Amino acid sequence: MAEFLLAAALFVLAMVALGFVRILRGPGDADRMMAAQLIGTGGIGALLLIGAAMGVGPVVDVALTLALLAAFASVAFFKAVTDGQPDDTGAAERE
Amino acid sequence: MSEALNAGLALFVLALAAWMVVARDTFAAVVGFVAYGLLLTLVWVQLHGVDVALTEGAIGGGLTGAMLVAAAARLRRTEAAARAERPGWPTRAAAALLAGGVTAALAVAVLALPVPAPSLAPETAANMGATGVGNPITGVLLAFRAVDTLLETTVVLLALIGVWSLAPDRVWGGRPGPRHRADPNETLAYLARVLPPIGLVVGVYIFWVGADLPGGKFQGASIIAAMWLLAVMAGLSDAPPISRGWLRLALVGGPLVFIAIGAAGVATAGAFLAYPDGLAKLLIKAIEWALLPSLALTLALILAGVPERPAR
Repeated sequence: MAEFLLAAALFVLAMVALGFVRILRGPGDADRMMAAQLIGTGGIGALLLIGAAMGVGPVVDVALTLALLAAFASVAFFKAVTDGQPDDTGAAERE
Repeated sequence: MSEALNAGLALFVLALAAWMVVARDTFAAVVGFVAYGLLLTLVWVQLHGVDVALTEGAIGGGLTGAMLVAAAARLRRTEAAARAERPGWPTRAAAALLAGGVTAALAVAVLALPVPAPSLAPETAANMGATGVGNPITGVLLAFRAVDTLLETTVVLLALIGVWSLAPDRVWGGRPGPRHRADPNETLAYLARVLPPIGLVVGVYIFWVGADLPGGKFQGASIIAAMWLLAVMAGLSDAPPISRGWLRLALVGGPLVFIAIGAAGVATAGAFLAYPDGLAKLLIKAIEWALLPSLALTLALILAGVPERPAR
């Protein structure tokens, strides 16, 4: 069972790694951030699978923390790009 | 299968790290850093360091990521000018030499480490009973190495003073960051209403289990700080003016309790930060309870940033 869970974690990680291409190439900031969020979601999934495979219960707490802070990071990103930079045209040009 | 997973993770982390170093766009590099923090969390779990994984996820990936995203957005205006400049080859060669030298020195230092590594783990494990704490990390941080933790909490406070010191004179004592406004029917306002209650429970839980399982005040405080900032960013709440007396008191309250309990140790147990027999767990919990609100507030205010508006 542990082997299967680890294989599943590896599969999830490999799929999520495809999102890496979006972080590398962009082109927009939003594309990059969404890819990072995808890696976040997939990473939490892989984390839970690894935790179950190794029988380490507290991994669930790590996953909870990551999930909450990933939502926070995406809001911080949205605010950083849209707010407080009225004279910044960089974000508009990149879209 | 574990080996394949480790190899995949290592490859992924190294590729992302290398790309972050060479990326010219600051914002892209910062987004890469957020993903990198998450992958490091996975690596720490694979290394059986769940405590480190939790800290990395909460502080390394979460709060630092949000702070760097805001910094990158602010730097964007000046970035085009910086990119237009191309340093001459002597500068580049010197930079390459310096960076290569540092890397080589680090590699030599890591390779020169004694094997097996000197460890105090057996002594720590043998004496853990004296602290009454179930999680050895918490025991080490608040009993055997309490001075380090005291300095650590003071450093966070000093960082906040550093952030505040960047405020222009006319808004000194004012409110940090812009006043955020959002449509109350927007997704953001909805998220900021739904998530913080859940986040607060999780934050306090992570803090609470720290006595016996991975967790603790820093991780719990960073979640609580993030939840409060979420409400601020959605315009549901506003950051308090930094001149408020209760705010200053709350910031120094935790470290003061820590120092007071430490000083009491001189009289009751014969050394600074020593705990009298039988009272260790109680005092450790008292310090943690006092530090949690101070740390949450300090971390939140560091992220909220420099005062930008007068207090009125």
